[in-house]
Amino acid sequence: MQYFVDLVIVGLSIGLVYGLVALGISLIFSGLDIVHFAHGEIYMIGAFIGLTLFQKLGLDYVSTLLLAIALTGLVGVFLERVFYRRLTRAGGGYTVAGMGMVIAGFGMSIALQNAAYLIWGPKPLPFPVPYGMPVEFGELSLPRSYLWILITSVTLMAVLHVFLKKTRYGLAIRAVAHNKEIAYLMGVNVPLMISMIFGIGCALGAAAGVLIGPINYVQVQMGISVVIKAFAAAVVGGFGSLPGAVLGGLLVGVTESLGAGYVSGTYKDIYAFLLLITVMMVKPSGILGVEAKVKA
Amino acid sequence: MLHVDGVVGGYGSIQILNGATLKVERNQIAALLGGNGTGKSTLLKAISGLIQPSQGSITFDGQRIDGMRPDLIVRQGLVQVTQGKESYPAMTVEENLRLGAYIVSDRAKARRALDRVFTYFPILKDKRSQLSGTLSGGQLQMLCIGRGLMSEPKMIMLDEPSAALAPQIVLDIFRTIHRISRDGMTVLMVEQNVRMALLLAGYGYVIKDGVIHIEGPSEQLIHDDNVRLSYLGGTVADRDAGLSMRR
Repeated sequence: MQYFVDLVIVGLSIGLVYGLVALGISLIFSGLDIVHFAHGEIYMIGAFIGLTLFQKLGLDYVSTLLLAIALTGLVGVFLERVFYRRLTRAGGGYTVAGMGMVIAGFGMSIALQNAAYLIWGPKPLPFPVPYGMPVEFGELSLPRSYLWILITSVTLMAVLHVFLKKTRYGLAIRAVAHNKEIAYLMGVNVPLMISMIFGIGCALGAAAGVLIGPINYVQVQMGISVVIKAFAAAVVGGFGSLPGAVLGGLLVGVTESLGAGYVSGTYKDIYAFLLLITVMMVKPSGILGVEAKVKA
Repeated sequence: MLHVDGVVGGYGSIQILNGATLKVERNQIAALLGGNGTGKSTLLKAISGLIQPSQGSITFDGQRIDGMRPDLIVRQGLVQVTQGKESYPAMTVEENLRLGAYIVSDRAKARRALDRVFTYFPILKDKRSQLSGTLSGGQLQMLCIGRGLMSEPKMIMLDEPSAALAPQIVLDIFRTIHRISRDGMTVLMVEQNVRMALLLAGYGYVIKDGVIHIEGPSEQLIHDDNVRLSYLGGTVADRDAGLSMRR
């Protein structure tokens, strides 16, 4: 029993991390109609930025988290403004540029990996954060890193929720995601909101990176395996749905953890996809997914 | 108030507007009429900044607005109510209306605007907490017009407000538009229902093949043979309906 609970807790923690990346992916999709294939590299860049802030600048962990999130968000805005936006020059916005964005995402993924390689080198780097002793919950002993993941993820998701539902900019973002033309006619600065959506999506991905970094190593390829599972998580929960992304992440994390613990650890990566296939067969639009929205 | 001069434009390689020119005077209700695909909605999109004209100029209240970003045009005081009664169905009536006041930073002003919209369309006040997806066609149209009024614009452009609505509802809405105009609003109305539009508007433009084909005061257009043959199939009864609206 103890073993089971341990596995579930680890699964939920990792699942929250997948959830954060999936949130970024679903947010960008729901807002811009594009699938951002370079999101794993955003996660990786976030981890590296966090590592640099923590080690080179000696910041404390909380400041590192916040600053890495903000900086990577800005990197995202930069990428959108300078590169991705050019694809919409032909008119029709991102929706029409969809296929181009897919290719651009793959290209950006390679470009970012190489940029990271040039800046930080090829070696996997440790991200030693002195968390302190594991926390005791009765029989359970939870490493503090997992506690950080839990608290930070839930806080970020709550902040995002409040932002989208309760603030004026959140309303504008929701309007832009649903119908850009109408949003424009309401006086919303649509290009700015698009950049904001992208920036927030990237900030979430970076948070995941900084949270996971200390548990494994930080290395240039860390985004590759995560992005695929995050996509699976987003699809399982319903692509474009924000609660779905979180739910999907948790499910993928727990499935993976239980699978590795009870069945086999060697084929750990398979479980996420088995879950994906199962959900696709039962409910193709994802657990919390909605049928295709009517978009402008 | 609004001066569109020789506007040429369309969608990518498909040119719809071929040098359209029209003027709307302050406090006027002007009607833009024409059949399907003649460029009515395209012209409104060009005025609102959703399409960039390749030639020509658009001036609003003394300011050149062609080439301006759509949200900045809204901030100039020129608002469009698109066709299709597009709202955000997952938001309530009140949330949809408040979105119309997005550019209004003064809360008291937004409150006043909301109250005014409720006096024009009382049914919206009754349904303020309902999801806009539950509204009927006529109520949705009222919501869209109301939303356009929330930023207290100088001029409002309506794209086919009568579309897919029962005649009594159209009469209702048109009466309210007349009232809004009497309160000082300038209106440009695109309509396929030529008869009703000319009963409400003071001046009319007929667009065909992307240019203004015929124009004139509505009394003149109603009796114009070209207009009657192509667009009207009216009877004496409409004249009387017009009298009751103008009162």
